[in-house]
Amino acid sequence: MPVDTRRVRAPEESQCPLLFVPLLPRGPLRTVAQPEKARVDGRQRSQVDVRPVFARCGLVTQAKGSAYMEAGKTKVLCAVYGPRESERKDDTDMKAGRLVCDFRYAPFSCPKRGTWIQGSEERDAAQALQEALRPGLCLHRYPRAQVEVNVLVLEHDGSVLAHAVTCASMALVDAGVEMYDLVLGCALRQDGDSYLLDPTLAEESGGHATQPEDNQGGVTVALLPSLGQVSGLHADGELRDESVSAAVRACMEGCHRLYPVVRRALVYAARRKAAPPGDSLET
Amino acid sequence: MATVQICEAEKVYIMHGVRDDLRIDGRACDDYRHMEVETDVVSNTDGSARVKMGDTDILVGIKAEMGRPRPLIPDEGYLEFFVDCSANATPEFEGRGGEELGSEISSTLYKMFQNRSSLDLRALCIVPREHCWVLYVDVLLLQCDGNLLDATSIAVKAALFSTRIPKVHVSEDDEGGKELEISDDPYDCMRLQVEDVPCIVTLSKIGHRHVVDATLQEAACSMASLIIAVTHKGNVTCVRKVGGGSLDPESIFEMTETGKRVGKALHAPLMKLLQEEEVLGKRRQKVGFLG
Amino acid sequence: MAGLELLSDQGYRLDGRKPSELRKVQARMGIFTRADGSAYIEQGNTKALAVVYGPHEVRGSRSKTLHDRAVINCQYSMATFSTAERKRRPHGDRKSSEMSLHLKQTFEAAILTQLYPRSQIDIYVKILQSDGGNYSACVNAATLAVIDAGIPIRDYVCACSAGFVEDTPLVDLCHAEETGSGTAVALALLPRGGQIALLQMDARLHQDHLDPVMEAAMTACRSLGQVLDGVVRQHLQEVSILTGE
Repeated sequence: MPVDTRRVRAPEESQCPLLFVPLLPRGPLRTVAQPEKARVDGRQRSQVDVRPVFARCGLVTQAKGSAYMEAGKTKVLCAVYGPRESERKDDTDMKAGRLVCDFRYAPFSCPKRGTWIQGSEERDAAQALQEALRPGLCLHRYPRAQVEVNVLVLEHDGSVLAHAVTCASMALVDAGVEMYDLVLGCALRQDGDSYLLDPTLAEESGGHATQPEDNQGGVTVALLPSLGQVSGLHADGELRDESVSAAVRACMEGCHRLYPVVRRALVYAARRKAAPPGDSLET
Repeated sequence: MATVQICEAEKVYIMHGVRDDLRIDGRACDDYRHMEVETDVVSNTDGSARVKMGDTDILVGIKAEMGRPRPLIPDEGYLEFFVDCSANATPEFEGRGGEELGSEISSTLYKMFQNRSSLDLRALCIVPREHCWVLYVDVLLLQCDGNLLDATSIAVKAALFSTRIPKVHVSEDDEGGKELEISDDPYDCMRLQVEDVPCIVTLSKIGHRHVVDATLQEAACSMASLIIAVTHKGNVTCVRKVGGGSLDPESIFEMTETGKRVGKALHAPLMKLLQEEEVLGKRRQKVGFLG
Repeated sequence: MAGLELLSDQGYRLDGRKPSELRKVQARMGIFTRADGSAYIEQGNTKALAVVYGPHEVRGSRSKTLHDRAVINCQYSMATFSTAERKRRPHGDRKSSEMSLHLKQTFEAAILTQLYPRSQIDIYVKILQSDGGNYSACVNAATLAVIDAGIPIRDYVCACSAGFVEDTPLVDLCHAEETGSGTAVALALLPRGGQIALLQMDARLHQDHLDPVMEAAMTACRSLGQVLDGVVRQHLQEVSILTGE
């Protein structure tokens, strides 16, 4: 490529100065000394205290099924296409259908602007999403077919994977894909001896600030609520042995909190679909 | 992914065996296969190791190169993982066939090291904001017979143990510019503290029990497995559920328990072995691939 | 030649070898149990692994199938840590696709492919450490692997590189000689019949010098052939002791 030497070229990669400002004044996460102190948004530490959730089905009219979900400032949109003919014909296992997941952050969703090109983090998340959703689906009902799940994160404010799982399972229900059970997700941030359920982005990344003490980490659990089975488990960071099981338990509890909300949204969507034209909705 | 095809009868045979704590190769449920570890096998790397676990064979080479620290963490060096699933392991990996599995393994390795205690990354920093060591950890899959992650993590730990990074002397000239001088004495080098580097234990749920170090056949019988990265203290740095099945919460707790127990027990002999090999120094008979 | 004296006045090379001397060759067959055939070779500091799968049914598109002979499929790759400067990709760049093609041509000349119509033989080679003569190490390793797989070949395929410095032909070049000398000839020979399976030369060489260089390379290939023969015999002996015959 010819280089224009007359011009002063900007550095190849530049960083927004705002990134170097800590997301929060260092205080909030440092409250280990007074664990009874509440979190920034007023929720309690070490309590199953999830953010208020807004969930709605059927936003994307072109998709077979779709769902939108907000938890605090985290906003996730999911669309489901299919079941339709499988693209990969060479797959050895043709007895069951395939579940294809795509997970993306919108470029404007994170503090730092992203690109549309899928990064490794997004690919990981897509893989995790696929593995969390699959146990909930009756894929054997769709031989030689594939179901596509597309998740787009509109705003990233923590616990994205967990909410993506919940949102995707709602969209799958909306699409009428046969399922054994819903799949609900819940995340947790272990901070020393206490934990923060459904953490925000600031709380999630807080551990990377200079925190000397150990037992920092994030856990995400996907649960099939009525079967009581865990379909996904993701943990990172460094966790002391006993806190892993405690975190899983807390996350399961968090999933159960979500259950009625999701159920109500689904019932609402089903009613709206079934309602004869012109009939007004109650609820 | 390298898989084998087995029939229903074989599956039943394996599952019944696991139920009675007797696996097809005679192991108990939480036994590893025979393992061979050798460090320093490729001489033009800064550190290397080869691990054989049954028929799974993995070679890890580490090269240290100088780079710029990441802008958000200016006082640390970093690790770059690359997993090459070569066609040597299975013809399925020819061309781009192994890339998917390779990126899956490398992302697990990234996550495993994404915490403060696994490796002291600050030791890799030379001049904050300007120069640091970047360790390129290249994993080469030579043969696979299940349980790639465990073998890989052990090989990575052994290779990190054997890594020697030349010392760098920073001198400042009059105008405040920094001059780096890399020592060319092979003994004037820096070693890494690998005590806290975790090892991965993969537990595969077969029937109502779980097994460690599953072979390909056993992996084919398992619907879901749990990957746990454990340090020698028993801290957990990474947990993943993989596979298409779901797990009972109770069995997850049991599996993490086993994972921690097995993982802890894995570290001590590994470190002992590495240190013994180290003590032998030049007298060590290098086996490599000729043994 | 800037700085580096490839051949001293006394007639010794950088690593102390004489012009016609090979590097130390160590090899072993049957290192992997899962593959049909495998071998490992060290030529000085160049280390190569070769694995053979097949003959088996043609994989992928059926159109590749040949009705009178077997398809030979080769892939050459280099470990990312094999060179002094780290490589970013193990294979897929132009150099390695060219090398794969050369290997394929070499082994099509040596393997009795007409014995296996409508089938495929895979040869995968991997350079673990590279110090000149990658092609020859690969060919030699692949020969051993093919023999280990029990695939009939016309003869050992022995490959060796040769260069020309100060009116002297040098054989089995190391990395410094390869980059410094300018001319490099790679020769793959079927020693018994004296047939050439592949000959490749980069850069230029006066035609008067070609003969001595070729002669040197062929002599080197013949002696390599003896070494490979020794390896095969020893391997067979070990195996027959194990099987109690």
